[in-house]
Amino acid sequence: MQVFKAFLRVMRSKMSTAFIYIGIFLAIAVIMTNSDQGEQTKVFSGSKVNIVVYDDDDTPESRALRDFIGTRHNLKELERDTDKMKDVSYMGFNSDIQYIMTIEKGYAEKLRAGEYDGLFSHYRMHDSYEGMLIEQLLSEYLGTVRAYQAVGQPLDAALSRTEAVLNEETAVTIRNYDSDTAQSDVPPLLDDYFRYLPYILLSVLIEVLCPVLLALGKRTIRYRTNCSSVRPASYTLQIILGSALFVVGIWLLFIIAGITQFGMFSGKTWLTLLNSFLFAMISVSLAVLIASFHPGELVVNLMAQILGLGMSFMCGIFVPMEWLGSGVVAAARFLPAYWYVKANNIICGVSAYDGKMLFACLTIQLGFAAAFALLAMVVRRRKYAGTEQMA
Amino acid sequence: MGETVVKLENMVKRYGDLIALDHFSLEIQAGEIFGLLGPNGSGKTTTINCLLSLLSYDKGEIEIFGKKMSPTAYDIKQQIGIIMQEVAVFDELSVYENIDYFCGLYIHDKETRKQYVEDAIRFVGLEDFVKFRPKKLSGGLLRRLNIACGIAHKPKLIILDEPTVAVDPQSRNKILEGIAELNRNGATVIYTSHYMEEVEQLCTHIVIMDKGKKIAEGTKDELKRMIKNTETVTIEILELPEAVREEIGRLPHIYETEYKDDRFTVRCSGGKHNLIRILDVLKQNDLSFGRVYTELPTLNDVFLEITGKSLRDKED
Repeated sequence: MQVFKAFLRVMRSKMSTAFIYIGIFLAIAVIMTNSDQGEQTKVFSGSKVNIVVYDDDDTPESRALRDFIGTRHNLKELERDTDKMKDVSYMGFNSDIQYIMTIEKGYAEKLRAGEYDGLFSHYRMHDSYEGMLIEQLLSEYLGTVRAYQAVGQPLDAALSRTEAVLNEETAVTIRNYDSDTAQSDVPPLLDDYFRYLPYILLSVLIEVLCPVLLALGKRTIRYRTNCSSVRPASYTLQIILGSALFVVGIWLLFIIAGITQFGMFSGKTWLTLLNSFLFAMISVSLAVLIASFHPGELVVNLMAQILGLGMSFMCGIFVPMEWLGSGVVAAARFLPAYWYVKANNIICGVSAYDGKMLFACLTIQLGFAAAFALLAMVVRRRKYAGTEQMA
Repeated sequence: MGETVVKLENMVKRYGDLIALDHFSLEIQAGEIFGLLGPNGSGKTTTINCLLSLLSYDKGEIEIFGKKMSPTAYDIKQQIGIIMQEVAVFDELSVYENIDYFCGLYIHDKETRKQYVEDAIRFVGLEDFVKFRPKKLSGGLLRRLNIACGIAHKPKLIILDEPTVAVDPQSRNKILEGIAELNRNGATVIYTSHYMEEVEQLCTHIVIMDKGKKIAEGTKDELKRMIKNTETVTIEILELPEAVREEIGRLPHIYETEYKDDRFTVRCSGGKHNLIRILDVLKQNDLSFGRVYTELPTLNDVFLEITGKSLRDKED
């Protein structure tokens, strides 16, 4: 097992790169879990503005308006000092108060007379979002009052009906992964974890395995090994064993980390193991294929980035597939990560469950792994057949 | 002596139209330091690669330790050590780990291997560098590591393929001393080189090859006896009349004279006191001269006389 031991020793010298990738990935996973993002996105609440209302009219009608505003926004108190009031116009977000309005004297009388101009004055930051919210509300309020008055309703009735109508809230439901996956067996965020896994698997396996295979396949080392009494079959077997141990080790590490973070798998979640294992096989066969060309260290690094980032952006890992253009999706079909993400979406309930499609996705991935491995064998055979040199 | 360790018979190896080995045969006896001498491209490494069954060949037979050599002759491979011109070690492993790896390809018993690795480290003098990675070693130390990796399993036949190319003179001498010691310890050595001085210094039996053919074989003295030249006399002289040159040329045992760039070169074939007779002629003609030196023939002279070209490439 001398070759196997050398494989592990060479790998040990390359593991720092793997630990960087794994460390960053797991750290992000932990941060995501602890941030409790799920709760934040499930609850909807309208934005509220901190508003000061001065009621110079002081009538039941003006008080009704003030109370109505209070149901929608946060009423604040502020000393009636012009300088302080002007500050709101300049400080905007930095201020505790975002809008100051005054219900002008004669508000109730003007309403009764059907006049709607000059009812309010205000201080607010120019073009502020909060200002627009308040003014939209006032416009809506007065518009509704006017509508009721127009159909002959007295002002008292118009005001109370307006208040009742405007207090009716529209129910808001947020549809996202969490609410969808909540219906499946997948723990929250586990689908994200498995969605990002291909990038990390590709990067780690290419960045670590390629240099190890290159070191063992160096022409001079192979020459010396071929001169020895080690049988080629035993040599190849030991290399395969080393590669398998590494890939299974890395894959298991991610699975155990996943279980630690998101709890034990159940139901269909177990299929994510099969899906991710198949992708690990694709990554390892791709790493062997790249190593077969005997590239330099820089090229290996470049390939890892191009393949990792390229597939991640094109195949729905970093950007959800629904956001990608049809051209990109069509091209992505020729990449293994596309089928991984598609299978992951089915398993995690992001897409409707389709057993046939899931089986197809897994089979295609197996096909990719076999194709890369076969190609690697052909390249290696051609490379080594061409090593006879004139002395 | 006496037991044939390596036998190559009528080897032919072609690369397309190029014939790398042209009916090449040789026999190497146990305990020899066998020199395979030839210019670059003469077929030395092809011979070694065929010998190790790393290359297929078109015709011929190879026997090592009395058995037919083949890619699956692992019992024969077990007894062979190879040291190449290029350093073949892992940059990622330490000195000890490298020697242990290559030794472990032959020796499976852990205790024996440990002992052998330590012996090899002592032999090449790398005791203080066992934990060093190859990148931290100087060129000379790296060559020593390369040798240790090739001989750690204590092979009976050691093949050294131009191990001193691009090595400084000090390290080269140490390598040559080491090879002689390996031979004294009982190993048969095959040494390929295009450095004639090394082969002369080290080898007990020499084959000179060119264009895939054996052109001469024997001990170094036997090879030198094959040629006409036994001594070359060179005299620095500012002026040499043609008549004097012709007079010297007529002296017994002198077969060639040349005067060029104020240097008068006289090539002698056998005989004694050639130098005294030449200097007498110069004195009789009142000719003054500077430095005088004589050289015995080298393997390069042998090669030159047989092939009409120098052993070394111009860049060497």
